[in-house]
Amino acid sequence: MKKDVLAFAFLALLVAVLISGTKIQSVDEYYLTHLDDITPNSQTVTVSIRCDTVLQNWNQLDPALQSEKYVPANGVILPATKVVLRPKDTAFDILDRTVRAKKIQMEYQGADQNQFGSVYVKGIHYLYEFSCGPLSGWMYQVNGIYPNYGSSKYTLHPNDVMEWVYTCDLGRDVGNEWKEAG
Amino acid sequence: MKLRKPVRVIALLMCLCVLLSVFPALPRVQAAKLPDKTLQSDIAGIINWKKRDVGSSPDGYLINNTFLELAGTTPGDWFPIGLGRYGYPDNDRAYLAVIADKVSKRYRQSEKLSASKATEWHRISLAILAMGGDPTKIGRDADGKPINLIADGTYNRGKTVPLGKQGINGWIWGLIALDALRYPIPSGSYYSRDDIISEILRCQLPDGGFALTGQVSDPDITAMALQALAPYQSSTKAYSYQDKNKTQKTKSVKEVTGEALSALSKMQGSDGGYASWGTQNVESACQVVVALCCLGINPETDPRFMKNGKTAVDGIMKYRMSDGGFMHSLIADSDNPSSVPNKSNSMASEQTLYTLVALYRYRNGMRTLYDFRPESKKIAAAAVSSVPAKKDTASSRPKEKNNPSSSSVSSEKQENSTVLFTQADRKAVDALPENPTTEQYTQVVQLLDKLEKSADFDQKSNCLKKLQAAKGKIEMVQNAVDRLNQDIAEKLYPIESLTLTDRQTVYDIASRYNALSGYDQKKISHSGDILRAKTQVDNLQRAVVISVVLVAVAAGAAAYLLMRAKKRKKTKQAARPDFGADEDGKEYP
Repeated sequence: MKKDVLAFAFLALLVAVLISGTKIQSVDEYYLTHLDDITPNSQTVTVSIRCDTVLQNWNQLDPALQSEKYVPANGVILPATKVVLRPKDTAFDILDRTVRAKKIQMEYQGADQNQFGSVYVKGIHYLYEFSCGPLSGWMYQVNGIYPNYGSSKYTLHPNDVMEWVYTCDLGRDVGNEWKEAG
Repeated sequence: MKLRKPVRVIALLMCLCVLLSVFPALPRVQAAKLPDKTLQSDIAGIINWKKRDVGSSPDGYLINNTFLELAGTTPGDWFPIGLGRYGYPDNDRAYLAVIADKVSKRYRQSEKLSASKATEWHRISLAILAMGGDPTKIGRDADGKPINLIADGTYNRGKTVPLGKQGINGWIWGLIALDALRYPIPSGSYYSRDDIISEILRCQLPDGGFALTGQVSDPDITAMALQALAPYQSSTKAYSYQDKNKTQKTKSVKEVTGEALSALSKMQGSDGGYASWGTQNVESACQVVVALCCLGINPETDPRFMKNGKTAVDGIMKYRMSDGGFMHSLIADSDNPSSVPNKSNSMASEQTLYTLVALYRYRNGMRTLYDFRPESKKIAAAAVSSVPAKKDTASSRPKEKNNPSSSSVSSEKQENSTVLFTQADRKAVDALPENPTTEQYTQVVQLLDKLEKSADFDQKSNCLKKLQAAKGKIEMVQNAVDRLNQDIAEKLYPIESLTLTDRQTVYDIASRYNALSGYDQKKISHSGDILRAKTQVDNLQRAVVISVVLVAVAAGAAAYLLMRAKKRKKTKQAARPDFGADEDGKEYP
């Protein structure tokens, strides 16, 4: 009977659907759960987190942090990673979202807690400001340039390459030359 | 005329040159000194600007509940330092109550106020002193003992973390805090005064000044070093040390002060202002004026600090805005994008406030900005009469602080006075919600402090119980907020990897979030991710439900089809027994 054939075909389809694991979602739900998926249409930026300078200043490093657990042997905490850029994302937004997704420890001071009105990143991966000498702390550069102002004030553009680097000399050791008075 | 004017100017200049050669010590051009009245109205202007900034009325306190949230932080503590040193009547008691509570809480953490920055201790100590409190006995540590911020933050800081871990600022501000009341250092302490002084001296650069890093001195750090060294400026005691360039040096504070002053004089711009990190700005000029006042040098007349008739005070005043506040810089500073040119800025305004107060104190012969020792009686009385009486505000303020200079004169005064727990305060206790949130934190801490210090009255114990209960509940809410933030970070990511086994965790987090008040919900970072995580696990759950239903339907349908086929077979067998073995009835519709 033709009806039976159709019925069996339908059953086979159901089983196929179940096996393939297709989720049944509304558009909103799909959007919510795929916010950070990279598709051919996504706008992305690249982010990395490094602490190479600590390796060169090992004796200055807080003894409690002198371990590969905190300072990877190659200085790379997060290799260059492509992440989705949402409209109006700042350098801080991307860092914040990335460290959450990658479960990298990070501590920051909110924009209302300092005089600059911008978020201040105190520590990443348990490496804090002053953890490796009095001129040490986190800085960020975008496309090779240090903006020298709060990361939550810097709006990123598609395809930007952002690097968070740990400095042990107020930026000199990571290629940021300060203009000096005089 | 056109031709003659320049000639006259030249003639005048020549006259001046002659005069100068005769009287080389005379200032080349007499700068216009800021009139006392202008100085005071400019101070009032900054205070009123900040009042508007925190949503307070001109008659109200600057230190309102919004401002109190910032007690113990960098953007919070400098305004009270300026207010207190001016003798401005404000809500000093509330500031002390909240900062004592916040310090006590932070002392329960292993790093206490900070893992690396001793300046947290120094700034908070200065704010406490300016508000009339005692930084050697503030709040309670984990063992219930009063906290001594001066000991922990200066002479004994090295027992846990070096005072200079954060660099030169740690030494400079440590010495400023230590000398605020010329605190004696007990024997057996980690650092002596000489230790701290020589650590500052060894940071001196070859050009005479100081900087955070590099070999070129910076006006801010040079000025701050001078503020710290000011009490020792006449000392000829020789210190031997190795400087940053590993050169052995023997110098006295007197020598170093002189060299740093000439460096500072050289750094001054042609309009009297100062530039740091390549940008002329108000704060650098502020630090210079504070340093000069600390050293007893008149910043408005000393020829070393006058360029083309302009002083560092002029270098500050050009940043004054019509709204009373001060801006950071005339040009956009990429280092500080929050300071838009032509817009008043909080850091610029707070530094200008305490600088103008330092100048005011200098003019009135009072002790310097960071010298909190009591004034001689004569000077104190004179200064009090010269601070503008605030008729409009005095009536709306509690009477306990009618002497505007009391906080800067005596740090004991407030502790001895009996506080009146007013009818309004009792009403405030009754009006507290059943389930208070962190929004009521500053209010409850203030009321509790007031109540504990007030004389006995009917219902006092009842009020006390209510307030303590409210404080306990607020602490629990704060803990819930902290734990929730931690759990979200630890348990929700990566969201796309959440599975059904995480469903309970996600639901637990969501319900804890929903249980918070709107005010507290704002303290949860990435709260939007809770919904995302919930959607993720809900979708997984739904997929399971749908699968189960589909499997059930499929199984049912299959069973039905099989049964039908069997039935048909039987019917067929009954009707046509000779075709018995045929598979199905396709060919026999």
